[in-house]
Parts: sequence; structure tokens; C-alpha cells
Amino acid sequence: MCGLRRAQAVNAPSAAPAPDAGSGGLPGPRRQRSIRFRNVTKRFPGVVALDGVTFDVTGGECHALIGENGAGKSTLGKILAGILQPDEGAVHLGDVPVRFATPRDAREAGVAVVHQELLFCPNLSVAENVFLGALPARAGVVDRTVLRDRTAAVLAEVGASIDADTVVGDLSIAQKQLVQIAAAVAGGSDIIVMDEPTSSISRAEAKRLFELLRHLKARGVTVIYVSHRMEELFRVSDRISVLRDGRYVGTVRTAQVGEDDIVRMMVGRAIEAYFPVHTERAPGDELLRVERLRIPGVCTEVSFSLHAGEILGLGGLVGAGRSEIARALFGLMPGASGEFFIEGRRSDIRTPRDAMHRGIGLVPEDRKVQGLVLGMTAAENLTLASVGDLGRSGFIDREAERRVVERYFHALSVRPADPYRIVGTFSGGNQQKVVLARWLARECRILIVDEPTRGIDVAAKAEIHALIDRLASRGTAVLLVSSEMPELINLSTRILVLRGGRVCGELPRAEVTQERLMTLMAGIVVSREGNA
Amino acid sequence: MNRFRSVLVRLVTIREGGLVLIILGFAGILSLTSGSAVIPQPVPPGADVISDAGSDGTVLVRDRITGREWRHRLTRRVNKFLQPGNLDKLVKNTSFFAIMAVGATLVIITGGIDLSIGSVYCLAAVSGAMFLNYFGPTGPGASAHPVLVTAAGILLCIGIGAAAGLVNGLLITSLGIHPFIVTLGTMAIYRGIAFIMSRAQAYTFFPIQFTDGLIRLQAGPNIYPVPMFIMLAVAVAGTVFLGRMVLGRYVFAVGGNETAARFSGIGVERVKLAVYTLLGVTCGIAAMIMLGYYGSASSDAGKGYELDVIAAAVVGGASLQGGRGSALGALLGALLIQLINNSIVILGIDQNYSQVIIGAVIIAAVFADRAGSGFRAR
Repeated sequence: MCGLRRAQAVNAPSAAPAPDAGSGGLPGPRRQRSIRFRNVTKRFPGVVALDGVTFDVTGGECHALIGENGAGKSTLGKILAGILQPDEGAVHLGDVPVRFATPRDAREAGVAVVHQELLFCPNLSVAENVFLGALPARAGVVDRTVLRDRTAAVLAEVGASIDADTVVGDLSIAQKQLVQIAAAVAGGSDIIVMDEPTSSISRAEAKRLFELLRHLKARGVTVIYVSHRMEELFRVSDRISVLRDGRYVGTVRTAQVGEDDIVRMMVGRAIEAYFPVHTERAPGDELLRVERLRIPGVCTEVSFSLHAGEILGLGGLVGAGRSEIARALFGLMPGASGEFFIEGRRSDIRTPRDAMHRGIGLVPEDRKVQGLVLGMTAAENLTLASVGDLGRSGFIDREAERRVVERYFHALSVRPADPYRIVGTFSGGNQQKVVLARWLARECRILIVDEPTRGIDVAAKAEIHALIDRLASRGTAVLLVSSEMPELINLSTRILVLRGGRVCGELPRAEVTQERLMTLMAGIVVSREGNA
Repeated sequence: MNRFRSVLVRLVTIREGGLVLIILGFAGILSLTSGSAVIPQPVPPGADVISDAGSDGTVLVRDRITGREWRHRLTRRVNKFLQPGNLDKLVKNTSFFAIMAVGATLVIITGGIDLSIGSVYCLAAVSGAMFLNYFGPTGPGASAHPVLVTAAGILLCIGIGAAAGLVNGLLITSLGIHPFIVTLGTMAIYRGIAFIMSRAQAYTFFPIQFTDGLIRLQAGPNIYPVPMFIMLAVAVAGTVFLGRMVLGRYVFAVGGNETAARFSGIGVERVKLAVYTLLGVTCGIAAMIMLGYYGSASSDAGKGYELDVIAAAVVGGASLQGGRGSALGALLGALLIQLINNSIVILGIDQNYSQVIIGAVIIAAVFADRAGSGFRAR
């Protein structure tokens, strides 16, 4: 893994001039290289991920790549970064056709990738990671002073206020991202692929990232920006290319189009209801009451109640403790204290089992790590929480299992409609439906959904929104944790805002505006920004 | 004909198909190349030899009652590999490892490992041996009913195995130490206990109801099928457990993604306790067969078995990363390894080569399995 992060600062070939040790260690701006994809095709078992993709990226621009999940945009990024190799077709950098066998080849040719699954050596310091593979040394001994100075210079260049000696494992995701970008810059990369860079960072951090992108562009760096978040693309990109089902749909100038146009290109049709129509309903009885929930290091005293037929939104910036509260309600936070009342009765929730038996379900924030056993079939994943109740004396009732699986595959229109495929081969949206179906199959009365539409495509998003709304209409109490403000505002009956481990406000649906929500959520962060 | 074809098609498409074909092919080659051995052919009971051996190797014999006379061939040429005695030995040797490999496969599927297999086997065997010796024909408790002693001895073997496995599981789940380390420790501890208990003596003289009356029950000259039946029963039980039982499903889920299993309300610790205990049970069963078959045990029984057992599980398709494996595969893996051992004996290859060959086969089998699963996914 460490090899991927190698910054070829000293031994880099012609494409990447070596930094001058005397002048802060930064390569200057260089000629801007274009990227030309020619008939790029990539097949995986059972799918054509890329089908003859041909388009150009102009040197020095920020080029956004968008498409539904499974459209092939990440695959294209990985081919450019040398992680995957195309089956057919070619990639040209400038006029030179290139074929990278490894990420290291790509890095040596000046292409770096800033990836969600951040590839670092977590036990090493920031400085060591930035210059890994090209550590300044004298007689085989690392020259710590030079290393620290150079790193400090590069970090300043990307606007990161991080100590070069910090161990990478202790950094936040946003900081790691900055270190990755610093490593790319230090390595002399003039093409940077950013794969979903804002999916796990706060708004303020994203804003800084966008400024950095502008700065990189000014230095002549070509940026390929892969994201799902429409508003971001419009903020950062010069042009947008759309992929659909592995095929290239078209490229447009960002300034000349609106979100509708992009959505239409992505799905091949206009989506009328980007966000679902909220169904008006009167909240029913109180199903869950939380009193003085305290999670050491996360939140001090959080109390709220949740009613049947209600969607209670839990808003706040990353780090506000939303996901931790969700997990505490599901018995996954061992240090948590406080009182839970289920339908008025005081109940202990110490383990997920306790929570399940009290009718609670949790759709966790990280689908691949917490949600799914990727190597098992969709059917097995769907019944993972209910299979114990589906049989007798320890044996699985396979007929009953099949009925449950077919019922929910049909009800949630999961595609492909073959539940006995390995769930890892499904697209993100369909994987998420499987996780949701797991709790529907248990007919749970209280459903906690943490970032239910993170990283999934527009169409599946709309389906999941409609599903959550429908569940609430049938009397399920839903606790919705989301970083996406439109999602929170459009779905929730009322929104509870967390900041610094406390409930700092509650907004009923009628009073919610994006601005009010933002002020509540960001209050402290804004002032901290001011001090910095 | 159609039936035959459909069996063939299924064989190639199921995960263990490749292994079955390799074993069949290997056995075929062995039976063709092993050559033949000359074995004596005793005169049937109730007949007398009435002449010297002729140049053709036959003698004249006469039936005492009917007075009928015929020429009897004193020796017989048999295929070295296919002769019943060899096959029986092969299956018997396989049975110990296959039974424990089924248990080890469960542990490996959860992403765990157990290095104490050989020591658990030894502890169970020594405990059982001391008990059966005490109540055996020469022991102080000889007056006890031998059938009851047999039943109690079997339960003791399995119970000790289960208890040792449970302790492994408890240490792993409660201390949060990697199973490799925990079982590295218990490997030494269990063997040490067996050594202390037995004072390094071998224990023998068990009730005949347990040995010749059960485990060494003969189905023909030199044919002892009981270990094979127990092995098949364990493999079937393992297959049913993994494929049809809720706990079996959880085993795959824990190995595939422990966090997701926990987030789905699965009691991950309980699942782990269960698999280590079940592995202990299989060690106990194997120990019981060994006691009955050889009629003795000492504290150096089963030394190094853990590696053979893990090798069998891995050759059978279990992934050390967890989430993958099957009971049938474990059985076939054990069979393949014993087949190689057997071939070295009957082909007259220097015994010292056997370790080299088996080591190479383990690596080759796992590599082929990975390549093969990639092929099937396509």
C-alpha cells in the first residue's frame, strides 16, 4: 500500500522536475498536458464497465466526471492512475500514448490520485508519507531537518496547517486528503485525479479544498474531479463529462448548463421529482425517548423523543456526534450512558441484539464496512438479521427465506433482480436497498438511517427517499442522519441540530430553511474559521 | 447416460469439482503406475493341502467333508494401490485429518486460526486412554461394565476436546488477543497438561468392546470401515451446519465482514466460541478413533498435526482471510494429502521427499484454486 503513495521527488523522470532543495522544495508551474481517452474499454466479470469511451480533457482545466454509480467514472479514474489497465483503447497524455502497469508508473509520469480509501502508511509521519520513496538522505540516513523543511514548504503550498511530524494515523480525513495532495505536488504531478474528495469531510473543509483546487489550476495542474455532488461540480469545474452505463454521453461547459441538464444526461431522462414530495401526516405515539444520552468524548447530554410516523432529522457537521448517537441507540457504543424508553417503558440497549429485539434497525453510514458482507449473496445479506427467526431449532427455513427475499427484492425493485448474486457486484444504490430490506424484513418499528444515500446515484436516491417517506407513512419511526442538507430538509418532519455534542436547536418542518439550518449547524465552526 | 452427464457437469461447476477431478486423476495414475504386489492366499478353512507346491505355485487341496479336490494358488498378484488393505489404510489415515479439518475449516471461515489442534487431540487422547485403561481389563476398575466404560470413554474424549476448544474461544473473545497467539500458547499448555497427567507413559489395554468391538470392527480381512463412516458422518454434519443452519450462516458472515455481522445483530463472540468449541469436538472424535484403532496413546500423540489439518482445510478451499470454505473441501483436501503420502510409500520414493512434495502441493493447490475461482466468476 505504501508504494502507491510514493512521491518521486528526487528520481522523477523528465515529466516531473525534481524540487530544488534550497528553495523550499517545490517544482514550478510547467506546460499543461492534455489527456485524451481513445476508445477506452474495460470489462469485468459479467459487466462492461467502460465501453469505447473517447473524449479529451484540456490541459490545465478542472474537468468533472459524473455519472450514476456503475457508470464507469471511477473505473476511468483508476485506469488513468494505473490501478487498472484498459482491455482496449488507449490514454494519451499530451501526444504520448501511455499505458501504466502500476500506480507507481502513473506517478512517475506525473499522474497522482487522491482517493477516498486513502492509501497511507498510518504509522509514519506526515513528512515521511509525503516524501516516501524519495526521502532526502545523507549516506543512507534520513536527513530529518531537510525533510521537515521541505514538507513544511509543501504543506504551506497546499494551505494545510499540519505539523510535519504528526503521525498520519492521527489526522482527520480532510487533513489526510491535504497530505495526499501535498504528496502529489511534491512528487511533481501535473495531473491529479480526485475521486469523491468531499464525501467524508465537512462543508468548511470542502470550501478550503475548492480554493486549493483553484490554486492548483493556476499552477497549471490538470484536475479530474469525480463526484456525485452536483453543486460541487458547478463550483469547481470548467467542463463536465457525463458517463452512463460505461458509455460516454457528452461533455458540456459548466457555465452553459444547469443541474437539470446534467441530470438528464446522466439518467437519459428528465427527473421530475429530484427530491420526493413529503407526505403530510400527524405524528403518532411516542415510540422512543432518549434521556440524557452521554457518550464520552462525543456528546454530553442529548435528549429527544421519536414518534410513530415521524422522520426526525439529525443534522450537524461531521464530528458533531450524529453517527455515534445512531450507533448508541443500536447498542454499539459500549461507553454510552443515559436512559432509553421504548413505547414508554425503560429499556436497556447494551448490544445490537437488545436493540433488534426492541424493534430497532440501523442502516449504518458506511455501507461496505458496516453494512454488507460483500462476499455473500444479496439474499444472504438481506436476511442476515432475520434468518435466526426464519427457521426452527437452528435450521434455516429455506423456503421462508426465499419468500422474504423475493418479496423485498420486488418491493424495492432491486436490480439486477437476481438475489443469489454476490452483493459486491451490485451498484451502490442497490446495495443500499439490500441493507434497508434487511430491516424491513424484520418489520422493525424504529428505523435509524445513517447517510442513506451517500455515494449512490440520482435515480436510486429518489427511490430510497420515497421508500423512507412511505415507511413513515405506515407508522415507522425514522431517525434520519444526513450530511446532505436538501435530503434532511425535504424528508424530515422535524430536524434536531447537534453541535459540539449537544442539541443546539430544533426546527419543525414549517420553519426549516437551508440558511437557518446552516447557521445552527455551523455556528461554532464559522467562528473557529475566523480565528484561524 | 443423461444422469451421468449431469453428474459430470455438476462436478465441474461446484467449487470442489476441481479437487475431485484431481484426486480421481491422481488415483487413476497411481493404480496404473504402482505395479503389483504378491500377497499370500491362504488355503480355505476346512481344506487340507495334499501335495507340495508345484512349479506353477499351486498345491492340490482336498475338502475334508465333501472330499472334493482342486488346485489352489498359494499367492496372488494384486495392484499395490487398489488392494483393499492399502485403500483401507489410506482412508483410515485420511479420517483423522479429515475430521479435524472439518472443524478447522469452521474456524478458518470466521477468519481465525487454531494452532493447538494437535495438542487438543493429544489431551483428549491421553485423557481417554487413562480412563479406558483404568476401567480396562487390566486396570483397577475392571469390574465396571465395559459397554458403559466405552460410552463414557467416548464422551470423555469428545468432552475434553470441546472443553479445550471452548477455553481457546473464551481466551480469544475475552482477551481480544489474536487467535494465532492464543492458540500458540494453548498448544504448549495442553500438551504440557497431557504430559504431566500421563507422566509421559503410554496407556494401553482398553476394553475390547471399544477397540475390536467398535472402532476396529472388521468388514473383511484387514478392512476396518468404522473410521471412514465416522469421517463421512462428520463431513455431512459439517456440510449441513454450514449450509442449512443459522449458526453456519453466521460463521460465513463473521468471516466475510465482522463489523457488518455485528451491525446486523449477530453475536460475533458467540459464533467464535461455537467454532473453536466445535473444532475441539472434532479433535476429540479423531482422538477417539485413534484410541480405538491403535489401542494406545501417549503424550506425544498428534505432534505437528495442526499443520497437516490446516493444510487439508486450505487445500480444500478454505480462505485464511475468512468467509470461504466447505466441509466437503476439507475432507477432499485431507484425502489428497494422504493420497500423496500413500503414493510415496507405494511408489517406493524416499520418505524424505514426502514433506517437500506435500509442501509444494499445498502451495500449488491454493494457487490453482484462486485461479480457478477467478475463472468461474467470469
